[in-house]
Amino acid sequence: MSEQSVTSFRDRARSWLAANAPRRSDAQEPDGEPQAAGVAAQREFQAKLYDAGFAGITWPKEYGGQGLTNAEQIAFGEEARGYALPTGVFFIGLGMPGPTILEMGSEAQKKRYLPKMLRGEEIWCQLFSEPAAGSDVASLTTSAVRDGDEWLLNGQKVWTSGAQWSDYGAIIARTDPTVPKHNGITMFIVDMHAPGVTVRPLKVATGSSPFNEVFFDNVRLPAGSVIGEVNNGWAAAVVMLRNERVTIGTMGSPRTSPLSYHSLSALAARLGTGADVEVARRLARLYARERSVRLFGQLLREEAMAGRDPGARGSVAKLAGAELAMSACEVAEAVLGQAVVAGGAGDPEIDAVIMAVIGSPGSSVAGGTNEIQRNIIGERVLGLAKDPGVDRGTPFNQLRVGTLNTK
Amino acid sequence: MALVLNAEEEEFADSVRRFVAERSPRAKLRELMASGQPYHGDVWRQMSGGLGLSGLIIPAEYGGAEAGYRVLAVALTELGAGLVSSPLLAGTLAAGVLLRLDDKDAQGRLLPGIASGELIATLALAGDVTVRADGGTLTGEVAPVLNAAQAGVLLVPALAGGGIGVYEVEAAAAGLSVAAAPALDHSRSVGTVRLDGVAGRPLAGDAARALGFARDLANLALAAEQLGAFGAALEMTVEYAKIRAAFGRPIGAFQGVKHRLANLRTDWELAHAALLDAARAADERPGDFAAAAAVARVSVSDAYVAAATATIQLHGGIGFTWEHDAHLYYKNAISQNALFGDPRAQLDRLRTLLTAG
Repeated sequence: MSEQSVTSFRDRARSWLAANAPRRSDAQEPDGEPQAAGVAAQREFQAKLYDAGFAGITWPKEYGGQGLTNAEQIAFGEEARGYALPTGVFFIGLGMPGPTILEMGSEAQKKRYLPKMLRGEEIWCQLFSEPAAGSDVASLTTSAVRDGDEWLLNGQKVWTSGAQWSDYGAIIARTDPTVPKHNGITMFIVDMHAPGVTVRPLKVATGSSPFNEVFFDNVRLPAGSVIGEVNNGWAAAVVMLRNERVTIGTMGSPRTSPLSYHSLSALAARLGTGADVEVARRLARLYARERSVRLFGQLLREEAMAGRDPGARGSVAKLAGAELAMSACEVAEAVLGQAVVAGGAGDPEIDAVIMAVIGSPGSSVAGGTNEIQRNIIGERVLGLAKDPGVDRGTPFNQLRVGTLNTK
Repeated sequence: MALVLNAEEEEFADSVRRFVAERSPRAKLRELMASGQPYHGDVWRQMSGGLGLSGLIIPAEYGGAEAGYRVLAVALTELGAGLVSSPLLAGTLAAGVLLRLDDKDAQGRLLPGIASGELIATLALAGDVTVRADGGTLTGEVAPVLNAAQAGVLLVPALAGGGIGVYEVEAAAAGLSVAAAPALDHSRSVGTVRLDGVAGRPLAGDAARALGFARDLANLALAAEQLGAFGAALEMTVEYAKIRAAFGRPIGAFQGVKHRLANLRTDWELAHAALLDAARAADERPGDFAAAAAVARVSVSDAYVAAATATIQLHGGIGFTWEHDAHLYYKNAISQNALFGDPRAQLDRLRTLLTAG
């Protein structure tokens, strides 16, 4: 792709965004609970984005994409940085199930699902974690049993973002319990409106419900639902998890986030705690850390653009982002001082900081815990010996799993 | 300009890395430790005359390579990785000050020698400036000063009246005494400079601005050396964790070891990105250079100390012996951490820059 065409694409994106997209305001954004009206508005915006040629920038044209390169994708991202694009409900689908179907799905699946996903006509979620299978997600117990050409799905998933708005989900389920755990998993497309699917909101420590529990009770999966090969779902899951880490790790957070240096520094000045030399140093350290994490994300994107696969270094970005959030919490506590005890007492800025502090431990768990990221960095970036995985060769139905024993 | 190095810069990094491996491996440092010499004259001649490293930031009109600060950072990273002892940092800081001053005569006299490596120059700056200038006569003490005992010329910042100036002092000047100090870091040569009514030549230009730049340049240069050494210490430890077995497995398989190394790699990646940004700022965004260089230094300093500590710990007993190189990195890390402003001083400086901006 020539530099000139990237420049003209960038110019077109800039003027379209200026005319159509809402600017990022200083107002705090609510934490992940769009209301029904918000979802309708997001669908409408995504359709406009698609019609203007800015959805699926790197996806092939035959599946509704633009058939362009990473250079245009990055140019669009840079132009969009100052805007709060109302496209949050599509974030999961376009970041994870979409690319996975693109890479491993059948021709029929790509034609049927991808264009509607891009145009915002259908919302997707991903269903991996289970109550007894978190970090060890391959020990999942949700099962899919063949019934002629179809499959019968039973079990429970948890931590499913956006399930309440979703039309479809990408789900991994056990299809052969007699082989070792990684070898008996299959990835399916499930219709979230099918009989037997129950979605319940999951209230978390902040008091809000950004995630769901999803129950499957004899849900019928039609022929053609398998993504990739039967019993080869772990390979598809690895592709999806890697996409997730790169997506999360390189997101960055806006200056307006309550735990950013910018926000905490202003709050410290207002509360007078910034005059303390130790608080001032901690703020400066937060600035340095925030800046270096952002620069590393930029470096990964540049490398990807130059054709170098970020590979497992996405885990470095994910871990660094989660640790940044936790160190920002410590700084926030120092900045707040005694104000933290009263829980904000109606001061909206302090309330926002406290909510962010309460919500931050989630970032060290969601999308793969810090401990799992360290294993990945150790094994796949540094090349250290793998965890022995005592359960690797044992048939799944002879393992102890989570707090259950499947025997 | 992108953050990621281009093909030409990668190639340059490779050539410096090869130079270090072939001409100045760590065995050479052991020779210096045994002989008490500050550096190898032949290695320095090859670095300066051969590779042109002493003139990277010096304009072509003064015989330099005019290659810029990014290339300097690339070179210092590789030299830092090998703990190569040389007067390069001293000369680079002196050149940086001369370039920011406005004294054509001094530039023409000193820069060609610094660029060729034939003149060893140093900047007598450590902490706050306390030397006093009284009508061009300098009195005071500065320590530690890089390569003080080898320098042919010293640039001495001094307080004069209500302001500050930079003075050129010949090594042979009457009233100047230089005592080489034992350096904790075997790869660094430092000394104490005493001035007792020494005649100094005042250099024209904005001294405060030039010295501010020198502190930023010191941050960039030290961050580059520290990052290189951090990477080398980490790599040494990772390789050992692959071959050392205990309880029937390579020790790197244990999470107590693996996670510590993964944390260090994460810190290294962040510091690396911050260094690339600081080097780019020096070339392209002078207004942001001070903050970018302080961020690079803050990102690498403590993390390198942690890495050097882990290098001893994860090697176990062998890592604590004199014959193993782990202590060379540990001493280098502690010393580099304090040189030209420890992390607390850097944080104070960064906070001042941020609240002023």
